[in-house]
Amino acid sequence: MNTELVITDLHANVADKEILKGVNLTVKPGTVHAIMGPNGSGKSTLAYTLAGHPGYQVTGGEAWYQGQNILELAPDERAKLGLFLAFQYPVAIPGVTVANFLRAAVNAQRAEEGKDPKQTAMPMAQFRKELREKLTELEVDESFVRRYLNDGFSGGEKKRIEILQMSMLKPSMAILDETDSGLDIDALRIVSQGVNRLAEQNGEMGALVITHYQRLLNYIKPHFVSVMMDGRIVREGGAELALELEEKGYDWIREEVAAR
Amino acid sequence: MNALSTLPNLTDTQIIEAAQRRGEPGWLVLRREAAWKAFVEAVPPIWRRTDLSKFQPDRIIAPEAPSATRLTWDESLAAQGVIFMPLVEAAKSDDPIVRDRFGTAIDAHSHKFNALHAALWQDGAFLYVPKHVAAEAPFVASFGLNADGVSFAHNLVVLEEGSSASFVEEYSSADVNGQAFSNPATELFVGAGALLRYVVVQSWGAGVYHIGAQRVIAGRDATVEWVSANLGGKLQHVEAEIALTESGSRVEWQGVTFATNKQSLLTAPVLRHVGTNTESHLEFKTVVADDGYSSFDGLIKIEKDSKGTATRLEEHALHLGGKGRTDSIPGLKIDTNDVARAGHASTSGEIDEEQLFYMRARGISRAEAIHMIVMGFFDPVLERIPSEDVRGRVTAAIEAKL
Repeated sequence: MNTELVITDLHANVADKEILKGVNLTVKPGTVHAIMGPNGSGKSTLAYTLAGHPGYQVTGGEAWYQGQNILELAPDERAKLGLFLAFQYPVAIPGVTVANFLRAAVNAQRAEEGKDPKQTAMPMAQFRKELREKLTELEVDESFVRRYLNDGFSGGEKKRIEILQMSMLKPSMAILDETDSGLDIDALRIVSQGVNRLAEQNGEMGALVITHYQRLLNYIKPHFVSVMMDGRIVREGGAELALELEEKGYDWIREEVAAR
Repeated sequence: MNALSTLPNLTDTQIIEAAQRRGEPGWLVLRREAAWKAFVEAVPPIWRRTDLSKFQPDRIIAPEAPSATRLTWDESLAAQGVIFMPLVEAAKSDDPIVRDRFGTAIDAHSHKFNALHAALWQDGAFLYVPKHVAAEAPFVASFGLNADGVSFAHNLVVLEEGSSASFVEEYSSADVNGQAFSNPATELFVGAGALLRYVVVQSWGAGVYHIGAQRVIAGRDATVEWVSANLGGKLQHVEAEIALTESGSRVEWQGVTFATNKQSLLTAPVLRHVGTNTESHLEFKTVVADDGYSSFDGLIKIEKDSKGTATRLEEHALHLGGKGRTDSIPGLKIDTNDVARAGHASTSGEIDEEQLFYMRARGISRAEAIHMIVMGFFDPVLERIPSEDVRGRVTAAIEAKL
């Protein structure tokens, strides 16, 4: 089974406007792959398209993961393959507590066809124990789990709860969409530590880290950096590329692309 | 003998004789007789949002005796003077509290169905809580259908000054082939400074017409926390009213309605602010699916002598696709210049695709996500049900419809 995420010539529209114009990208297991780029370059569209948002129409290309073209799967089937999207704007679900939501998600991913969900469900005691551990690691107060998911949460709280979900679900391929936006420096540190801890625990986890700023990459060290512009990957490099972008901005790449 | 006869063949003599055979006091027999006369003379009501065109009243069989009242409570409270027993038994003992209060909150002559109820009621509970007694465990009255598919339940609840209690009224049955009929009435009197938690759960099986009335009279500084769950039956028409008659009384009134499969469920709450500095908060949540129809026909009246009233009405409807419909006709009638606050908020919409996507991105299937969103939509109301058992039954009844 191929645990690389291999994206080939991916085209996608939002409201009939082409945003992704042929993305080629491979995310290897056990690596952190950063996608950087100016606003409006299509970074978040790539994240949503990979996760299967119904508002994003794939018009061409493929994205293979675990032996399947995930673009043909429903969003929940992609999640069950181990794909996780940490949302830039997490959605509130009033009436559903953080704890109940997490339990439903964990058990949905453990469910197996033809088996009683009660059999495959994580035992309650184990769930509580794991949840308590993750809450401590992410410095989230226990009272949070009884609150309705993301309902009235601050920006920073929402991002922590995203990483909490990720820690509980233990994905094999994590996509982090602008997880640093709206975070103060303390929250950024805690969230980044959460991601790094998960990567350490699962040496095979791949991570696609989408960010506008280099700041996050001080905390989550990328193995590869790809630059996205106008719906395509236009340049690839190592961690040093992020620093170069921080220093020089995006204009020099734009000029380079224009000159091609 | 368990039945008298069908309505077209029923006579006042039959009703009177049956009441006498049961040993009912004279005043109650007279009430039945008068109510039957009112029923016979009254024209059928014309309700804009309750369609009775397929209803066959001639098939209703009048019951001869109570059959389906089940009462559950903490019997040790009897030592403190608490009474919880079938109302017909309390009436037979000619308890003055029953005699003085019965039929005073709901006017038997207001329309044909209330008259029919007052003539034929058999089942039902009498709850009496003396002054300053705090009853912890809920009083649960459960009703089913008799062998002829009818239920006429009358409940009378009297909470004396400074007392507190939870009264739960539950209607449930299996699905019925053809037509069944439930025609209840509940009268509740809440004394000065008393706290009543009142829960009504309507989860009849398919085929049941549930047409009834509920009325609460709240005294000075009384608090009423009222939760209605309207889930079952073929058609519901419930006229529910609370009168905040004395100063400082308040009500927190919440409801959930879930209409599916051609059900028509109407709730018509009326809130009367009569005393000064009274407060009300109404929150009704409705979900419709398939061809279900739900209507909320509410009225808040702030009467002439009511000063310093604070009221807020919230209604929220969720459409799960299909041809389900909701109507909302909230009314506010103010006859005074001195209102502290009066607010109204209303939303209606379909399940948010962003919520669905977010949940599915975590591995939760579309069907389960919808299930969770609906249960979450109802949750703030359900969590106010004071008994875990009852909450569990309501949750199960909702889940069975999803």
